[in-house]
Amino acid sequence: MTHDHDHGEGHGHVHETSAGASNRVKALVADLERAGMMTEAELDAVIETFLVHAQPANGARAIARAWLDDGFRARLLADGNAALAEIGIDLTHWSPVTLRVVANEPARHNVIVCTLCSCYPLALLGPSPTWYKSAAYRSRVVRDPRSVLAEFGTTVDADVEIVVWDSTAEVRYLVLPQRPSGTEGAPEAELAALVTRNGMIGTALV
Amino acid sequence: MFAIGDRVRTKVMNPSGHTRLPAYLRGRPGVVVWDLGPLPFADARAAGDVAASQRAFTVRFANPDVWGTDADPHGSVCADLYASYLEPE
Amino acid sequence: MTGIDPLRDALTEAHMSRIHDLGGAHGFGPLKIESDEPPFHHEWEARVFAINRLLLRARCYTLDEFRDAVERMPPVEYLAASYYEKWLHGIETLVREKGLTDVRDR
Repeated sequence: MTHDHDHGEGHGHVHETSAGASNRVKALVADLERAGMMTEAELDAVIETFLVHAQPANGARAIARAWLDDGFRARLLADGNAALAEIGIDLTHWSPVTLRVVANEPARHNVIVCTLCSCYPLALLGPSPTWYKSAAYRSRVVRDPRSVLAEFGTTVDADVEIVVWDSTAEVRYLVLPQRPSGTEGAPEAELAALVTRNGMIGTALV
Repeated sequence: MFAIGDRVRTKVMNPSGHTRLPAYLRGRPGVVVWDLGPLPFADARAAGDVAASQRAFTVRFANPDVWGTDADPHGSVCADLYASYLEPE
Repeated sequence: MTGIDPLRDALTEAHMSRIHDLGGAHGFGPLKIESDEPPFHHEWEARVFAINRLLLRARCYTLDEFRDAVERMPPVEYLAASYYEKWLHGIETLVREKGLTDVRDR
């Protein structure tokens, strides 16, 4: 199951052959089915529901609304769960989590991470990227966020404070980027299209 | 209990079991910036007490208090920490 | 397995916490940023995700027990495993320890 080579670097997915993992999963599913714990159809339904409902478009819609509506912005920053319920997004579909939205300002930039596992606002950002879950990101972004941002081609001015939010409890973070200049009069859908997933993690500007 | 604006210090600990206080934030001074209310208490739930709950707070740590002189002094790290991880500073 | 035990012990001794506790650690190199990344890279990864959701929903274990099971992975294996390999290890561990597939009446 494991190879006896030593490697400190997280080159991860090459460690076990995918066929090995695939066979272990098949055996596990067979055992669970035999015990009456779940069916193939239930597994397929979970995957389909997840892929349909967990989308970065959800987060982008909330951000665009906040840019257009100061009242919504204030409510989003004060109680993220209640504000998202207003626009029909239920964060507690799978587990009870508190959403905390943190706003970028001219003198403050926010970045989110989970150093201990990989907590992430799935409902608002969709499935998390592999880099977010990597040892490289989790270890370094709390200590040297500017060097991490640089790898995304993102530069935050030296006089702008960077606040890193480490998701260590059942709170999920979302960055509210600053509204780009030159977007005055743009409708919500057009603004939402400008909002990127990485912009809502904080590794990119919008 | 703590209130927003309170100065606190994380406890020094090194438990063998599950905890959500990262090693890099142990024994560090910070400021409470948010009261999260009661949350499922991870340390006890991981040990089988599924109903365990504890009030938690978001605490902000200035970079120099965490990394000394080896990090950007103009920055900070925030984490969501259970009350039992914290002491008044 | 015996070949990696000395390294495993050294890692455990050197680290002030379990191996998952990575904040501030040095030496993991640059990020590998994949463009247009799919939600899952393999069908089995989606299966692992779904198995975990269903077992959590059925209260077979808590999210905290799941994280604990992942963290108990031997450090060398933890660092070498991909994200969903870690999840698979955690699920297999809890299924075995709790005897979830041993009994028919839950």
